[in-house]
Amino acid sequence: MNRALRRISVACLALFLLLMINMNYVQAFETTKLAGETGNVRVFDQQFSYQRGSIIANGDSKGVTIAESRLVKGTDMYQRYYPDGKVYAPVTGYDTIYSQSGIEQTENSLLAGTDPRLAVHNLTALLTGKQKQGATVELTVSPAAQNAAYQALTSDGGHAAAVVAIQPSTGAILALASYPTFNPNELTTFDGAKLDKADEKLLTERSQPLLNRAIQETYPPGSSFKIVTSSAAFSTGLVKNTNTFVSAPSPLILPNGNQLVNDGGEICGDGNPPIIQAFWMSCNSAFGKLGIKLTAPVLRSYSSKFGMNKPLSIPLQVAPSVMPEVKGWTDPSLTAFSAIGQFNDAVTPLQEAMFSAAVANRGTLMHPYMVQQVVGPGLSVIEQAKTSVLSQAVSPTVAGDLQSMMNEVTHNPGGTAYLTAGPQATGGITIDGKTGTAQNGIDNGNLNDAVFTCFVPGSGGQASPIAVGVIVQGGGFGADAAAPIAVKVIKAYLGAHPS
Amino acid sequence: MSLAANLDQPVPMPRGRRRTELVMLIFALALVLFAYAAVGLGLKGKLPGLPTGILIFAAVVLGAHLAVRRFAPYADPLLLPLAAVLNGLGIVMIYRLQESGRNGNSGQPVTDMSSSASTTQLLYTVVGIVALVVVLVLISEARVLQRYTYTLGAVGLVLLAIPAFLPASHSVVNGAKVWIIISGGFSVEPGEFARLALAVFFAGYLVAKRDVLALAGRRVLAIDLPRARDLGPVLIAWAASLLILIFETDIGTSALFFGMFIVMIYIATQRTSWVLIGVLLFLAGSWLTALLFSHVMERFTIWLHPFAGSNPTGIAFQPVQALEGLAFGGLLGTGLGQGQPYHTPLVQSDFIFSAFGEELGLVGVMALLLVFGLLVQRGLSAAIAVKDPFSKLLVGGLSFVLALQVFVIVGGVSGLIPLTGITTPFLSQGGSSLVASWILIALMIRVSDSARKPAPQPIQDEGMTQVVRAA
Repeated sequence: MNRALRRISVACLALFLLLMINMNYVQAFETTKLAGETGNVRVFDQQFSYQRGSIIANGDSKGVTIAESRLVKGTDMYQRYYPDGKVYAPVTGYDTIYSQSGIEQTENSLLAGTDPRLAVHNLTALLTGKQKQGATVELTVSPAAQNAAYQALTSDGGHAAAVVAIQPSTGAILALASYPTFNPNELTTFDGAKLDKADEKLLTERSQPLLNRAIQETYPPGSSFKIVTSSAAFSTGLVKNTNTFVSAPSPLILPNGNQLVNDGGEICGDGNPPIIQAFWMSCNSAFGKLGIKLTAPVLRSYSSKFGMNKPLSIPLQVAPSVMPEVKGWTDPSLTAFSAIGQFNDAVTPLQEAMFSAAVANRGTLMHPYMVQQVVGPGLSVIEQAKTSVLSQAVSPTVAGDLQSMMNEVTHNPGGTAYLTAGPQATGGITIDGKTGTAQNGIDNGNLNDAVFTCFVPGSGGQASPIAVGVIVQGGGFGADAAAPIAVKVIKAYLGAHPS
Repeated sequence: MSLAANLDQPVPMPRGRRRTELVMLIFALALVLFAYAAVGLGLKGKLPGLPTGILIFAAVVLGAHLAVRRFAPYADPLLLPLAAVLNGLGIVMIYRLQESGRNGNSGQPVTDMSSSASTTQLLYTVVGIVALVVVLVLISEARVLQRYTYTLGAVGLVLLAIPAFLPASHSVVNGAKVWIIISGGFSVEPGEFARLALAVFFAGYLVAKRDVLALAGRRVLAIDLPRARDLGPVLIAWAASLLILIFETDIGTSALFFGMFIVMIYIATQRTSWVLIGVLLFLAGSWLTALLFSHVMERFTIWLHPFAGSNPTGIAFQPVQALEGLAFGGLLGTGLGQGQPYHTPLVQSDFIFSAFGEELGLVGVMALLLVFGLLVQRGLSAAIAVKDPFSKLLVGGLSFVLALQVFVIVGGVSGLIPLTGITTPFLSQGGSSLVASWILIALMIRVSDSARKPAPQPIQDEGMTQVVRAA
């Protein structure tokens, strides 16, 4: 009977081995999948049982907490709190019991403390009986610039609008504001029914407060696109320098017989001005004609050099700004419109800031980013931003030419933004920029979008401190509606960062 | 080394190894005490009050040790400590679940659990250990049970059948009609004891019939088929287990009975054909019942598609909670008192293993499985070592059933096999299972003592065997 007993013994071992293998499978290999199952009540409860990391706006000398988790009195649950919710909503996004958006979403694993890089800390916390804690995310956002941006947008007559400010030498995002916006504190409730109600309200609101216009929505760039057209003209040698004369008929008769008129039907100089004059006056016919000569594919390739036509992550996902290859896009009659930022051109406010940032940084476009560093609960730096070049938009010489032209827009009494962003309006701060007034809607039936892109040039060997892009939906003239917003942001930022 | 050098050594006397048992017991008790402290720290953030219950537990376990010293001095020294650590951790986990969300502790209360569950479990532990001592005192050799083969067989069948004839109000708990409910909240699961009684019956019957079963028969296709009339008892066992399944809706128990009988026949006859026949009969029976009864079929659906459609909130709610609990524990577990096992219905009984998996993690689960595995292997090694065939069969069969029981419930909880509700030996809440498990340990101790006891010394000294130097 012992032979049978020995075999039974082996069979019993096999049974236990099977159990052990299965346990390893469930508890070591399947954990992520099982944790992600919908309605996993444990994972759901756990997210409130410890402190989620804070989000800090660290763009000025001292950090400002813009999202933190606070212990709810009388319970052992932590609730998210946004001290300046509406101001930073486009940056932080929200953190509800079901989902996240914004930085809360992109940095979720670090904030929640589930990132593998926090495993060692979590293990020490476990062994020493300390509570698990999320990492702190420090952003490049400047509270001064962000507050100014928010104030400027809210006091602008209720137009939907967005503004983005970038540090041209690094790509660090200094401000990213959108209006109308929402208060993320309305979404932090633990009560699912309450949350559904608040969510439903935000989703059905006609003003679309959840839409982050700074990066998720694209608008026609209008005349600000003439920066791209000029870049292509200079870089290809079509136009030698800023004093080269260009043809600016009024109107320009297109190959298909249509007319391209200047704003208000005005005459551009003597009809054959130097390009710099055509730029500060923003003559459509001159740049339309240049566009036809350059051809659509060349224009598009230069738009790509400024960061268009591809996805971008900052790390929030940015809707691509495009000059799309739609049917018939190479038709010269349409290219003329593409060259002045109409037809199918569409850009985000962030892209507007990137146009200026590239020019301000001697033609080098830095990759825009928001997360400066991530600090673990033990104050060790887990992640540190590394600046990187997104593309070389133009040569430093061409960048110099573009800067001269943008300088005239605000400094030449005939420049489109002389009154709103010129020396008198800024109180002595030099701002170089380009306005845009974009027609849009079916048969251009909507109110014009106001666009302004600008930067503060570097002086005395110092790099340019800030570049700003503004789009005001239905705002009218770029110079009137958009430029003052940019000026306010720049003034606030430079006030907090005296050079 | 030459052969002669070995022969010069005196033959070592077999040792009782009771001191090893004591040291291991203290180790087991220390583990239980630490677990109790961990529960307090996990639930409230401070050490719990005086561990009165643990001290009582320690006292009875040490009492059992003294009884083993007195009545089974040569018993395997690991059996008692292994069982004690399982029983102790079970009490601690039941205490943890009972305290959850009550008395100012964190978590949510387990709704269908009384606030004195761990005290009751401790009481049953005392009863179980008293039963162990009684068995050791009354049964000096396992083979005396052989005298009661048919008596115990009848007792077993009656015990098994009683719930089937009782009205539902006196026999059904959580859908399983396997209880005898006596008023006052006191209930007995007779199947747990019936298993022991029937094991004695099978062992006695097979020892008597093993030669007939092994030798008579025809050879068909390289398989030795037994004679039809010898096959009778197997078919009866099969039919009985199917009937339990049908009338008492208890798939797990019927699988255990059938598995036990087949394995005991195999041990008795050493013929693989029995295993083959048994497995085929079991598969056929399962298939038939699955076709006939929707609740059996449902178990298969739950097993194969726990996360499909509305299953996680419907029929598969319990196993899904268990799986998510295991995953939540991960490698190291949340720590005792810090997980959320209260989300799983019946976590204190059928699903207690998932609570251990959640709070002690893969590491703890592996340790528990190793303890169970060791217990089974110590039982089997006692069966191999003992000379008496009845004891061999009895303890061999019971050890296998212990392994099978752990496999069925742990495999069910962790999604390896379809889930059937049976208790986890020593860990689950419930007195019948616990007392029956301690009686099983008593039988293992008794048989291992018989196996390791030195042969009676001859009275007359026969003198030294002459040593022939071969080198």
